Amino acid sequence: MILRSNDRQWGAVAKFFHWTIAVAIIGNGTFALLVDLARSPMQKINWIALHKSIGLTVLALVLLRILWRKLDRRPREEAGSRWQRWAARAVHATLYGLVVALPLSGWWFNSVAGKPLQWFKLFNLPALATKNEALSHWAHGVHEYLYWFLLLVLAAHVGAALKHHLQHNDDVLRRMLPFARLRNGSTSPGERP
Amino acid sequence: MKRLATLLLALALPCTAAATNYTVRPALSQLNFQGIYQGAKFSGVFKDWSATISYDPANLANSKFDVVVTMASASTGDHDQDSALPGESFFDVAKFPTAHFVTTDFHRQGNLVIADGNLTMRGVTRPVSLGVVFRAQSATSATLDIAGHVRRLDFGVGSGDYSDTSVIGPTVRITAHVQLASK
Repeated sequence: MILRSNDRQWGAVAKFFHWTIAVAIIGNGTFALLVDLARSPMQKINWIALHKSIGLTVLALVLLRILWRKLDRRPREEAGSRWQRWAARAVHATLYGLVVALPLSGWWFNSVAGKPLQWFKLFNLPALATKNEALSHWAHGVHEYLYWFLLLVLAAHVGAALKHHLQHNDDVLRRMLPFARLRNGSTSPGERP
Repeated sequence: MKRLATLLLALALPCTAAATNYTVRPALSQLNFQGIYQGAKFSGVFKDWSATISYDPANLANSKFDVVVTMASASTGDHDQDSALPGESFFDVAKFPTAHFVTTDFHRQGNLVIADGNLTMRGVTRPVSLGVVFRAQSATSATLDIAGHVRRLDFGVGSGDYSDTSVIGPTVRITAHVQLASK
């Protein structure tokens, strides 16, 4: 297990950020869409509070991830046509943007709705905007549709990763999978053969 | 003879039971509450209440507050809270439309006057003490500033699921600013 990324594969830190954020944001989005299954108003209050806490955690993680990405190196891009490389970069940039925008839009929605924002009952965060109930319905829409858009872009991301893995037989997926070995029995620089 | 006795009594009364009777000027008075929800303070106001106030800082023994609050008039400005408060789990205004506070005793604590009394809310009566600051403005007007705390669960406010004090704080601060005009 190497912490930093190298030419051939992502390091443990990048993998940790990638998969933790992936699970947290998809889980948290699904959770929010199911919030009306709560058995009582208080349970719904607690579920929404949990949703906000997880969302704030995602925001902190993605900011750390972007910082780490600036300090870390990245594996080589796989060979591909110009449009494929362009599409890969566009999808990645959009995903980063959405992972930042989703929690921020939730924070903004919470602010204009005039609700408190608490992180796992430990401390409170300030409002990003003044209360404006007329805007809060719209803000909810922005927050939710950003999630649907994220799922759409995610489908392209996952589809491309699977295409690389299954059709091109390359390391694009393997180099991000935790515990996976790269193909060709190759080792990464710095690793013992 | 009877008439003379009444006259003497009428003359003597102001000397013994000297607390002034006041009427509240509602437009210039406010009854507020502050609580904690999810770690943040929220505040609300009771828009409809009435009070009978007899008060004399020099004659606390004959002073008295009697306050009746229409619970359905509570408003925090938050849509969810305002729709929950009148409900069965909180004020249960259908069963208990009013709360009632009446003083039993006044005493001094340093510079502050403490009004001890009984608060009846949601069918439960518990002793509650309020700090009182009285300021005479003229011969006929004065202000009262009042502050105290109630423990909401003593009265079953926020019962069942809502009794979780890590979400809704256990104590609620009550404050009032009252503009008085002597009768």
